[in-house]
Amino acid sequence: MALLQQRNEKAFSYLYDNYSGALYGTINSIVTDNEIASDVLQNVFVNIWKKIESYDPTKGRLFTWMLNIARNASIDEVRSKGFRASKKNQSIPDNGDVPGAITGPAIDDVGLKKVLSKLKGELRVLIELSYFQGYTHEEISKVTNIPLGTVKTRIRNALIQLRTMIN
Amino acid sequence: MNIQEYISSGIAELYVLGLASEEEKREFEQMCAQYPEVLKARTAFELALEKQAMENAIAPPFDIKNKIIAKITSEDRNVPAAPAPVRSINLFKYVAAACVILLAGSIYWNISLSNKNRDLQNNYDNTIARLNESEKDMEVLIGKQSVKMASMKGLDISPSSYATIYWDTATHDVYLLANNLPTPASDKQYQLWAIFNGKPVDLGVFEIKKERLLIQVKNTQGAEAFAITLENKGGSQTPSMDKMYVMGKL
Repeated sequence: MALLQQRNEKAFSYLYDNYSGALYGTINSIVTDNEIASDVLQNVFVNIWKKIESYDPTKGRLFTWMLNIARNASIDEVRSKGFRASKKNQSIPDNGDVPGAITGPAIDDVGLKKVLSKLKGELRVLIELSYFQGYTHEEISKVTNIPLGTVKTRIRNALIQLRTMIN
Repeated sequence: MNIQEYISSGIAELYVLGLASEEEKREFEQMCAQYPEVLKARTAFELALEKQAMENAIAPPFDIKNKIIAKITSEDRNVPAAPAPVRSINLFKYVAAACVILLAGSIYWNISLSNKNRDLQNNYDNTIARLNESEKDMEVLIGKQSVKMASMKGLDISPSSYATIYWDTATHDVYLLANNLPTPASDKQYQLWAIFNGKPVDLGVFEIKKERLLIQVKNTQGAEAFAITLENKGGSQTPSMDKMYVMGKL
């Protein structure tokens, strides 16, 4: 870790060799496009390199930190204009409709998403929207017509189930 | 608050997955610092998530790593180091240019001062030399009791001409003052004659110089008259009587 924060390139290379696959899997589950996922992975590792000094071990493991950078970058990409233009059929859902990408057969069930598929329908949608699509609890409440407090509780319940599943 | 309830509320999962609100985050970090059980629960979920992600890793395209390495090495070398030196180089350029201009100006000033100084020194030396000569002349004319003078008046060919002769009865030195004589042609020279018993004796040719008041000529004694004729350059054995400009009797 000290080597990384001193910007040691060998340490960074080691970091990439160990974790790029796991992060690439996560990015892929959000952007669902290999080519775009590759671009996002590049930016994610450049950002990890730039921001490594700001990583605070008391707030979590290094992998957790990197995973959140990857998740945020993926969601930013999905929400960017260019991405939406190329993926118009996956536009933001409204009127409480469950997004097609979640229920449809096109979904790649890998990683967390594979675990997610074992959740009950409604909980699964909530996790999908919040974790994989980056909607805030308020946005989800609006979109799904479920009261905010209920959204919060259900997401927590879903996460507790998720935890027992991956353990 | 019951810690076990807090832990089982799903807050650790919310936090680790980055889904907690800012308020929930602050509270959870505080709880982690305070209660080892909370920290343990967080770490346990982190490890589970990590293991799960590792098991579901997808190998990224082969060339991505090199692209990333190239990007970070080029950014590391170019971006942080570049801006500061550019400014300082610009500043240095301006300072250097200003120094060169000042130095050139200073050198020019020094040279012109030095030239002026040298000219002044020369003028001073010349002036001192002329003053010394003039003082010597004045001493001859005024200071010595033994010096006598005779004026030579213009003759028919040049009535306005005028000259004065001084001679020292003690040393026999003879001086001529050309008060007013026309400037001769370049192939002519004035020649001074002393007259003894009606016969002219050559006292030499002379140039009229502005720098000198008195012209010293050949020593002589006992002349009854002096005269100046205009002769060909180098002088003549006998005076050309028709070219006599001035004459003075003692």
